Amino acid sequence: MKKHKLQIAASLLLLVITLLCGAASQGADTIKTVGSSDKPLLGKIKLLPAFELPMPQGKSDKSYMGLSGTGDFKLGQIKARVLIIEVFSFYCPHCQRSAAQVNELYEKIEGRPDIKEKIKLIGIGAGNSLYEVNSFKERYHVPFPLIPDQGMEITEILGVRGTPTFIAAKADGKGLLEQFYFGEGGFPDAGQFLAQIIKLSGLEGEVKK
Amino acid sequence: MRVKKTKLMFLLLFLGVSAVMAGFTGAYGQSGGFSDFKDYIYPVGKLKPTDSVPILKVGDPAPDFALPAVEGGKITLSQFRGKKNVAISFVPAAWTPVCSDQWPGYNIVKDLFDKNDAILLGITVDNIPTLYAWTKQMVNQNENLWFPVLSDFYPHGAVALKYGVLRSEGVTERAIFVINKLGVIKYIDIHDINQRPPLEDLVKALEAANKQ
Repeated sequence: MKKHKLQIAASLLLLVITLLCGAASQGADTIKTVGSSDKPLLGKIKLLPAFELPMPQGKSDKSYMGLSGTGDFKLGQIKARVLIIEVFSFYCPHCQRSAAQVNELYEKIEGRPDIKEKIKLIGIGAGNSLYEVNSFKERYHVPFPLIPDQGMEITEILGVRGTPTFIAAKADGKGLLEQFYFGEGGFPDAGQFLAQIIKLSGLEGEVKK
Repeated sequence: MRVKKTKLMFLLLFLGVSAVMAGFTGAYGQSGGFSDFKDYIYPVGKLKPTDSVPILKVGDPAPDFALPAVEGGKITLSQFRGKKNVAISFVPAAWTPVCSDQWPGYNIVKDLFDKNDAILLGITVDNIPTLYAWTKQMVNQNENLWFPVLSDFYPHGAVALKYGVLRSEGVTERAIFVINKLGVIKYIDIHDINQRPPLEDLVKALEAANKQ
């Protein structure tokens, strides 16, 4: 009799645990979907859509990207093997807080002769006017080009829903860019993030460890 | 036999609890990586661009008011008379899209206001505790917004009503008023509630008000 009761209790417990585990893993899955949506995840390749961006006015910005002239340009024209894009906003507190960290990422790239010509970093200001993007640049001494996307068209094409979002893509050599990284939110450590980008981009074999 | 079953039960219980904990940790890990307080923003969808009848125009004297500030005490408009130009930024409500980003932008350009001898007053119809929690999320720990945030909560929206920017559902328009040192309204932008007014428009208005 006692044994029977114990069996029932054990079966009930098992059932509860199974349900709980199911709920927990389902919860985790849901969060995962929210965090990365149906957009390409780490390591998955997709071609970045071709769109035009207004050319920054600053000479140093243009020479950093290996561009000249005025008017519009395409991301594929930037002289780089790997392009890191930060979609940010002048108005976003998280972007404001992490501005110094993103500057650090730039300095880390520029400080390494083996990668500085290969990896370039730009910012796209989601919903920001040129004035707002420039105010952000001035306030945080941002050393890399910041390009306004006042109408949010580019932000939408890129599939970005929140700022900051980091996208990385590599040049296929024919003017097209293959996206291999899409991450919402910031990164905890600039050095680790750079190492991750180098690894995922396939540049690892060509650069110093 | 019974001892074994008990052991088995404990093992299962342990495994179950571990799985649940792992699930939670995973969930936290994911959301922690996202842009912190955006997760708390209530999605309002697209709203009627404006929903009030303007009653003030440029050149009118700005109606005076006294409202409680998040930092404590009351702020009156007339206390700045003869001293500062005043920009008033009405935003519809705490924890809503667009608004939640607007003031953090103003917070990093205090110099633009200083340059034009201006103060900024942020006003919503929310109560003080809500405004406290909401504005705390905009800045780093132990920091505050540099400008006063005022609560037009009770009587509900009384100041917004005087300025003709109270919407039918009880929140305010997304509106900016610039008032010069003489207390005269020099600029009014009752903006599409769904969009953020560009910073340069406000800065131009401050410059113009400061020249006169």
